[in-house]
Amino acid sequence: MPAAVALVAAEAPPAAARPAPVDGIAIRDASKVFSVNREKFEALRAVDLTVKKGTLTALIGPSGCGKSTLLRMIAGLEQADTGTVEVDGLAPAVIRSSGRLGIAFQDPALLPWRSVTDNIALPLQVLGEPVKAAAGRIAHLIDLVGLKGFETAVPGQLSGGMRQRVSIARALVTEPMFLLLDEPFGALDQILRRSMNLELQRILAATGATTLLVTHGIDEAVFLADKVCVMQKGPGRITAEIAIDLPRPRAPELFTAPHFHQLSDVVAEALHGGH
Amino acid sequence: MTKIIDTTMKRRDFLRASVAAAAMGGVASLGLGSRPAFAQAGTLNFQAAWINDAEFMGYFIAIENGYYADEGLTVNYLSGGPDVIPESTLISGRADIALTSPDTTIRAIAEQGAPFKIIGQQYQKNPIGVVSLASSNISSPADLVGKTLAVPPVNTTSVEAMFRLAGVPIDQVRIVPYQFDPTPLIQEEIDASIDFVTAVPYIVEQAGKEPVWFLLYDFGFKIGNDTIVVTEETLANRRPELVSWLRASRLGWEENAVDLERYPAMYADSWFAGTGRSTEVDTFQNVAQEPLQAHPDGYFSMTEETIAETIASLAEVGITATRDMFDTTLLEEI
Amino acid sequence: MSTVAVTPAANPVAEFASRHAGWLIGLGALALWELAGDYNLVAGGALPSPSEIIRQIWLDRQYLPRHIGATVWPALLGFLIGNTIAILAAITFVLWPPVERLTRGISITIFAIPAVALGPILVLTVDGIKPMVVLAAVSVYFPTMIAMLVGLKDIDPRPVDLIRAYGGTRRHILLHVRLRSSLPSLLAGLKVAAPAAVLGAILAEFGSGQRWGLGTYLLGSIGMGNPARIWEIGLIATAIASIGYVAFALIAGRATARTKQVTIASATPQDLAGTGGFTPINIAYAVGAAVVPFIAWWGIMKWLDLSPIIAKDPIGLWNYFFNARNSAVTQASLWDALLQSVPIALLGLAIGLAVAFGLAVLISTRPRIGNVFLPVALVTQTMPLVAWAPIIVLLFGRDLTTTLIIAASVTFFPALVTILQGLSLVPRSALDVLRTYGASGAQQMRMVSIPSSIPYVMAAARVAVPRALLGVMIAEWLATGMGLGNLLNRARGSLDYGMIWTVAFTSVAISILFYQLVTVVERAFLKKYRAGSA
Repeated sequence: MPAAVALVAAEAPPAAARPAPVDGIAIRDASKVFSVNREKFEALRAVDLTVKKGTLTALIGPSGCGKSTLLRMIAGLEQADTGTVEVDGLAPAVIRSSGRLGIAFQDPALLPWRSVTDNIALPLQVLGEPVKAAAGRIAHLIDLVGLKGFETAVPGQLSGGMRQRVSIARALVTEPMFLLLDEPFGALDQILRRSMNLELQRILAATGATTLLVTHGIDEAVFLADKVCVMQKGPGRITAEIAIDLPRPRAPELFTAPHFHQLSDVVAEALHGGH
Repeated sequence: MTKIIDTTMKRRDFLRASVAAAAMGGVASLGLGSRPAFAQAGTLNFQAAWINDAEFMGYFIAIENGYYADEGLTVNYLSGGPDVIPESTLISGRADIALTSPDTTIRAIAEQGAPFKIIGQQYQKNPIGVVSLASSNISSPADLVGKTLAVPPVNTTSVEAMFRLAGVPIDQVRIVPYQFDPTPLIQEEIDASIDFVTAVPYIVEQAGKEPVWFLLYDFGFKIGNDTIVVTEETLANRRPELVSWLRASRLGWEENAVDLERYPAMYADSWFAGTGRSTEVDTFQNVAQEPLQAHPDGYFSMTEETIAETIASLAEVGITATRDMFDTTLLEEI
Repeated sequence: MSTVAVTPAANPVAEFASRHAGWLIGLGALALWELAGDYNLVAGGALPSPSEIIRQIWLDRQYLPRHIGATVWPALLGFLIGNTIAILAAITFVLWPPVERLTRGISITIFAIPAVALGPILVLTVDGIKPMVVLAAVSVYFPTMIAMLVGLKDIDPRPVDLIRAYGGTRRHILLHVRLRSSLPSLLAGLKVAAPAAVLGAILAEFGSGQRWGLGTYLLGSIGMGNPARIWEIGLIATAIASIGYVAFALIAGRATARTKQVTIASATPQDLAGTGGFTPINIAYAVGAAVVPFIAWWGIMKWLDLSPIIAKDPIGLWNYFFNARNSAVTQASLWDALLQSVPIALLGLAIGLAVAFGLAVLISTRPRIGNVFLPVALVTQTMPLVAWAPIIVLLFGRDLTTTLIIAASVTFFPALVTILQGLSLVPRSALDVLRTYGASGAQQMRMVSIPSSIPYVMAAARVAVPRALLGVMIAEWLATGMGLGNLLNRARGSLDYGMIWTVAFTSVAISILFYQLVTVVERAFLKKYRAGSA
């Protein structure tokens, strides 16, 4: 993975130290039932999902279709009632402690008393990795998300978009081989969102991370993904898988290209076209 | 490397242990105490009945003038106060001798089997009385009917006895708690209060009002006060020291009587330093209490007549005192 | 601040008045006090004027430093020890919740046991300054522990998710989220603890026979009929406590200013919602929590090895209450006292909480005016009630009113601080939403501030229950001569330790009962307000 060097500062541990991925993300026959105020609510029914190594899969669907639940299962934050969840052939609990997972939520979930730098360093501290050694990498990530000059600011002093970018930098700080992104750009304006999409593409190209992106935006899904999975609710399930065969790297001009619109229409059809 | 891990583990274990201890901490902290010191030959711990004032003049003099030392005694003087219960100090072994109220002590012996013996009494007449403003015209228990009387809860029994002996129905008097603060009396929020008549009248006078008072003793509740109490165990094992203590203390009171105005001023910056009282009050008290404690047979005397009166008075309030609760033989040895 | 000159106010006088409202009201009150004192307008002259008090301080300057030192040192030691234990206990409880459930009985007992009952036993078991240290420590333990526990539990669930997604354990969550986010709540707890430590030390002095200390000084002075001296002592005690209070308030200001949560967490922290219901495990814990204090009680008595006349273990107390010669009388007088005390305590509790809530709302919506009341509130906490009971009695007589005033006054301050804490943590964005729609201050309170501060209101109610009962007992002891307070005091006078233990046990039992009641109410509230919004 020589490409990773582009992102990583010189003092970072050699990427080769980590075992090579044997597989991507694999969910088989996962079901989940919540009970809210004594009423059963079927969040997921028999979901199968694979994200091939080094690719990006976008999950799109209406609110309450269980896409966030699916993502949280991979992070080990929810347990499936039935079925299996594996990352690299390993259980979520194992994979997340290895530092190979990066995660960003729709909400930046920043600690209000920590500076930008310290918020980004949090995953390293949890994993027990040296923070000082990663100072260069953190500075680079801050630069990457366009927050240079705000290193010592606390979240209260940042705008919503800036906070969201902090959380993306934080998701990247462990140089994850698997990225779980739960509507990370949902709070950003359209212009910033576009540029973040480009930024994410560049980062993924550089790191080769296997990514699951939960999103509401059809254009975002099509632009970034190798595969778009459309979900429906009641019960939550995957109703369509659409391969996105657009060549990479994808440039901003793509947003106006006819093939892009065709694919977007296919996704929209799968999403709204009924059950 | 392993060494480092070892120490951190130990530290962590220690931390865990302390956390566990802290969980029980509230309880554990109650026990950070030392056990009461056991009796030491030649040393007597003496529990007084109140904060330092002229009530204990004789003992201060006996300490300062070396009367105890002459007897080969070291006396540790323990100050009292409204929340210090001298009998408890005796039971817990913190004090060897205590000054108490006879009614409390005798009730503890009679009802709870407390192992106390009364070996003398400082006040021949209890200085507790009804203090009021002259304008209220209260000169006997009967005058209190329809009035408000403030009573320290400790003295409730004595007051009940007084009314019973005077034939006054107690429910015709409004009784409220008294915290030894004369302000409500001076402000006439209450009509009278139960207090030592050896000090309060002076305070009332200072506030520009004219005080009057009468003793409970004079209306038939004939008990003394500041009874000198020891446990039966101390009496059995340390009799000579107790006699020495009585002798030296009596000497202190005799010295005090030579010039009642001398010592309160002399001890203003030592025994009475910072008590919040004034030398004038202590002097007034020292003079006022003298007739209540002097006795032809010497200070601390308990004659058979005195004892019989105490027994009879307490019987009025249902406290069964008996002659064997008193031991006058030490006084005879002085 | 320099921008004031650039944008001058339309009406300089009005601008000045509104900016300095607090000071103006304060100065006005002081002037009124001076006049009332000088012309003997209040309580027939029992209220001394500020200038009289200052003169008295000058007159007493020789001994004051020593008295102050003798109180401050044990109070400080007790404050440190009690709070250290409280903080470690809260951390233990949040890491190992079963420990909390099993020791809950002990925690409440420590708080609910009346100082007037604990003091006499304490001075018989420890000597020197230790009674003061222990009573100060005991006084601070519960408020701090509860504040810390609420702070540790009421956390933003979002960073917790994040930490768990990186394989973080409870230890990581504690280290990176709980500890720091408990800081504001802890500081609020310490603000309450500072006056409590001072008062605890003073109360212990009453029974300790110490020669020096503000409590001792008060005892000696109380018989002197000099209100200026009494107020001098009370105000000095208040000043000492205020130093502690203000210090923690300043630290709290620094700690929370920049780090307020920006957005509201839509999910309920799981810890707070709790687990209700009569499951076997819950019942087991409840039984355990009830049994543990008895075991501790029995063990301590065994260990202290005091005379059975003084020390009653559970069995001894049972025998005293049920099998002794006087048991029927004992039971009858306890029932009578309970019927007199408990209803008033509940009323006082309601009044104290209502006043605290009202004042908290006033302070958080009109801080300049509200803050004037804080010093007054502090006075009620440290001024030993013995000192100002005569004034209250002279003003309000010796009946229900006085009892209610005293009960409410000891109840409301910790409640005030805790509720203020809850109101101050309301996320900005949630309020902004309402302001956008032109919501009034009252609407903001009703819709956001109050629901989101419910855990704090409940914590306040918990702390308030035992205090209300204690307040009633103190009032009965000082002024009315009724109920449990009188029973306790007469028992002390007649060496009836069985009755002292009976009263102490009963008041602890009542406190625990209401504590549990508050917990049930809290659960219902949380279900409705917090979980429902998820």
